[in-house]
Amino acid sequence: MSDLATALVFWPAAVLMLVTGLYVFITSSMARAGLLLLASLGIEGLVFLALSSEFLGVLQLLMMSGEMVTMVFFMVMFMPDPGGLMGMDMVHDKRRSAAVAGLVGVGLALVAVLTDWPARAVGTDAPDVRAIGFEVMGRSMLTFLFAAMTILFAMVGGVLLAKYGGRYRIGAPAGEDRGGEAR
Amino acid sequence: MISLPVVLAFAGVMFGIGLYGVLGQTNTIMVIMGVELMLGASMLNVVGFLRYTHPDATSGSFFVLVLMTLMAVEAAVGFALVVSAFRHSRTAEVDDLTELRG
Repeated sequence: MSDLATALVFWPAAVLMLVTGLYVFITSSMARAGLLLLASLGIEGLVFLALSSEFLGVLQLLMMSGEMVTMVFFMVMFMPDPGGLMGMDMVHDKRRSAAVAGLVGVGLALVAVLTDWPARAVGTDAPDVRAIGFEVMGRSMLTFLFAAMTILFAMVGGVLLAKYGGRYRIGAPAGEDRGGEAR
Repeated sequence: MISLPVVLAFAGVMFGIGLYGVLGQTNTIMVIMGVELMLGASMLNVVGFLRYTHPDATSGSFFVLVLMTLMAVEAAVGFALVVSAFRHSRTAEVDDLTELRG
């Protein structure tokens, strides 16, 4: 990608990523908040693409679309007003939270801009997807397997946490069967 | 045009937005969303360093992959905890989940 094309993708995408990220916490509709988060993290995939990380960009788009759609379901299930029709305020300690977050955000941005980083321009020596494929099947296979096992353990742990009964026998309303366990 | 400080600055602001969600939101799902944004910012940081300091290194991409895994795992375990807490207390509001408070 040429410098101009990279800039034309990067700047609007990066700004839109921040704006949609901010609107996640401004909108009062939960479904909209979930979709805005999907937009923000999806656009981050575009930023990755602009930074010559095609593999990570496409992976980000795929993973985030799956994850955020699942998140929207959870939001609709557990929010008192998923449609945002009542215009409820779901923020506590608004001023202090905004002050701390603003200070941290601006502080990090200032450190990033003022520090003299040892930077190289993105060149044509960026590895292509084929090189990453060889890396997956070679040195980094253990990392890849570790990531897969972590997701598997999280899935099993998530189901165990969320099911009725369990070690502390919490959750099941009185008189209801505790997920097939003997009482 | 685009340089490492620019990428890091965007990541810093994104981290701040996520932090606002974590500190300010009352619903557990929204707090999880804030954490997702913070992890997204850290991924952007890693991609920035990867592209501008070691553009020829393929192994750096796997650090981002581990972060993506962390995002998925955090969401899965977070949702399971929300389901469990909701079943127990009939609420997902962080202000009402006070059982472990000392």
